[in-house]
Amino acid sequence: MSTNPILKISKVSRTFGAIQALKEANFEINEGEIMGLVGENGAGKSTLVKIISGFDPGFKGSYQINGKEVKFETPSQAEESGIAIAQQELSLIPNMSVAENIFLTGAKVKKFATLNTLAKMARPYLDEVGLTEVDPTTRINLLSVGEQHLVEVARLISREAKILILDEPTAALGEAESRRILEMVERLAANGKSIIYVSHRLDEIFKITKRITILRDGVSQGIQETKDIDVNKLVEIMLGRELANMFPSKADHISDDPKLEVKELWPDGVLEPVSFSAFKGEILGLSGQLGSGAGEVLASIAGALQSRSGSLTLNGETFLPKSPSHAIKKKIAYCSSDRKKDGLFLGRPIFENLTSPALGAISKYGFNFGSSEDNYSRNLAKEFLIDVKRMHDESGLLSGGNQQKVALGKWLSIKPDVLLVNEPTRGVDVGAKSEIYQRMRELAARGITIIFASTDIQEITYLPDRVITFYRGMMIDEHRLEKIKTPIILKEITDPFNETNL
Amino acid sequence: MSAIIENNQLPFSAKFLQFYKDRTLLAILLSLFAVMFIYGIFFTENYLTITNFKAIIRDAALYGIMAIGLTFVTLSGNFFLLSLKETASICGVTFAMGMATGFGSPDLAGNFLVSLLAALAVGVVSGVIQGYFVGMGGNPIVVTLGGAGILYGIGAWWSDNLVINFTRPHDAEWLGTGSFLGLPSITWSFILIAIAAEIVLRHTNFGRKVYLVGANKAAGKATGHENFSMAIIVFTICSVCCAFVAVAFVAQMDSAQSNYFSAEFGSSGDMTILVIATVMVGGNSIMGGYGSTLRTSLGAIFIAMVDNMMVLQGFNSGPRIVGVGLMIVFSIIVFGLFAKGSRAQE
Repeated sequence: MSTNPILKISKVSRTFGAIQALKEANFEINEGEIMGLVGENGAGKSTLVKIISGFDPGFKGSYQINGKEVKFETPSQAEESGIAIAQQELSLIPNMSVAENIFLTGAKVKKFATLNTLAKMARPYLDEVGLTEVDPTTRINLLSVGEQHLVEVARLISREAKILILDEPTAALGEAESRRILEMVERLAANGKSIIYVSHRLDEIFKITKRITILRDGVSQGIQETKDIDVNKLVEIMLGRELANMFPSKADHISDDPKLEVKELWPDGVLEPVSFSAFKGEILGLSGQLGSGAGEVLASIAGALQSRSGSLTLNGETFLPKSPSHAIKKKIAYCSSDRKKDGLFLGRPIFENLTSPALGAISKYGFNFGSSEDNYSRNLAKEFLIDVKRMHDESGLLSGGNQQKVALGKWLSIKPDVLLVNEPTRGVDVGAKSEIYQRMRELAARGITIIFASTDIQEITYLPDRVITFYRGMMIDEHRLEKIKTPIILKEITDPFNETNL
Repeated sequence: MSAIIENNQLPFSAKFLQFYKDRTLLAILLSLFAVMFIYGIFFTENYLTITNFKAIIRDAALYGIMAIGLTFVTLSGNFFLLSLKETASICGVTFAMGMATGFGSPDLAGNFLVSLLAALAVGVVSGVIQGYFVGMGGNPIVVTLGGAGILYGIGAWWSDNLVINFTRPHDAEWLGTGSFLGLPSITWSFILIAIAAEIVLRHTNFGRKVYLVGANKAAGKATGHENFSMAIIVFTICSVCCAFVAVAFVAQMDSAQSNYFSAEFGSSGDMTILVIATVMVGGNSIMGGYGSTLRTSLGAIFIAMVDNMMVLQGFNSGPRIVGVGLMIVFSIIVFGLFAKGSRAQE
């Protein structure tokens, strides 16, 4: 292995307003190497990837290629230096042929070319990524998603990319297709390309990488040799032990008084009907990756997503919510994962947001002259540590953490029996995260049943009293209290059926 | 417990704009009023007369009432009711039919109450139907354009495109040309409706819902305020306002024809443009969630003043309509400038 890395980044930092996305990141990659890049959501992976690929010139620190300091203002400059990125969302044009997509732009594009010449030119690149049987004249939308990923990579190497960044290439793929991607990655590395492999799927990382860079809270945690480290150690470095105490302690025991019974609920995105119960005063976590169905189950309990069948039993009543307002009447509150989309009225003042689900409670005969609303929203704000002085500010002016507190806090106004939260701390800084966890625990102690769905493995391990795991639309297993262990959950949400034989 | 976490990292400009946005827009409008007023006093003959001010406020009342109705639609994020003049047209025809023929029963001919209720009922029906389709997810522009064609067509068909006359004295004179304490009835109506609308928006749950749904439909749905019922109610409010104005106008003219509100209305011709201009000039957000009927009322008076000035300066209707158009453009630019930077920062 050569001692001079082809790409080297040292002491890079990047801030967005109040948020420090990267504090101190070091990164390097050698020629022909596969480097894993892992970290939790919000650890700074995507920021680092954007800096490397030239999408984000506004960083501080040193960026060297072949020992020379470089500064890319645009992604195309980075591409000229041989750095290319395959993003999670593909940038292919669906109703054009494979060959046309490969030669869409770049130096090799001829002014005039027939599809046949393009097809001949495309052949070697397709072979290189392992699409030997695909006809270059096929339309893109006739290929599977995995094959499309391979075409995307073929396009990048056709432009002589030396360093390829693959951002979660297998997130949306099944096992067989994922394997093809991994094979391709190994083949390209053998041909001398350097590959930065970003993934949440630790099994893949262990399978193909030689070294791993771990990011935590915007700081790179040193480069680990893959052979010297195991999953537990990796997760430990990823999460950082000191972060565990940002979580409140769990309940002593789980009450055996079922508050909400979910029977045969079957929304879109879930393979088979789901049944479970949630007990009084517990925090129940639904764990699963994107597309696992955990979020969909939550949304359908809240009436935000239609369920084909099933029913809920709450306080002795059996019903199936038809709409959010139906669920609200039954004292079910639902805080969605996207607060900007349907969690907040960004242009309206904070106090209006806080009382929005409970207008009836702050008015008399439909009239509202402010004083009872004032008290009401102040109490809510105090309870959720929202600055009372800012009550008349637009909620859109708050930071992400404070916005999330408003989005969550507003549901206390209906005095819910069941509080559903999808991704309670997405895009939220560490301080606000800890406050939100604290608040959720207090609400549970008051007897509210809290069910939350999360893709954040740390949150799902330390916050809930009980965890139900989901994998590709199926319910896998359930764990209680001290039996909740990160490796077991990780295994169940990424590879419960031993498909990868790690 | 840790101290309240405050985010003070916002750019200063954003804070500044946020704080002064309301005042600035209002200040611009008020200073324009002042400029207009002073110009009028010194350079326009017959400007500073009571008769002229009555004329201004009377004009403002007619499209002001409709604009207040439209403000509900715009604030709730349902853009515009484009069938304003067509709704007024069919309601005016209905009222005149009632006054002239009693809808076929001679006993009812000239009965003000029956004619008024019939006209308002037509307004309610057209508002509910258009609101229903918008609430079901139809694009408000398309739905109400379709509505416009249908409503106008039915009115023209029913009245055979003829002028329907009813002779004085009739029971609707008090509304059409009557006055009380020196002000025309229609002006009193405008004042009362403006006050009522402002109270509804500020101090009722319904008013709050208008703002919330207008600010974010998806969040409205998630908190139990669906746009379905909202659309039906706001379109009905707007259509009823159109019906009321139509009745007052027809009562004043002692006659109705289906194209009164395209050509004869006010001094600037097309009523739909005038009413939308009024809402815009007041500084209400086109996207909903921001504004008030008070702004709309000021907008109505402002437009009436500009129009009145142009009349006194001897402009005919062409340039005056250009003036209204320029006011729409101007208000959009000003609003765009001041709204920028005040919304959601990351």
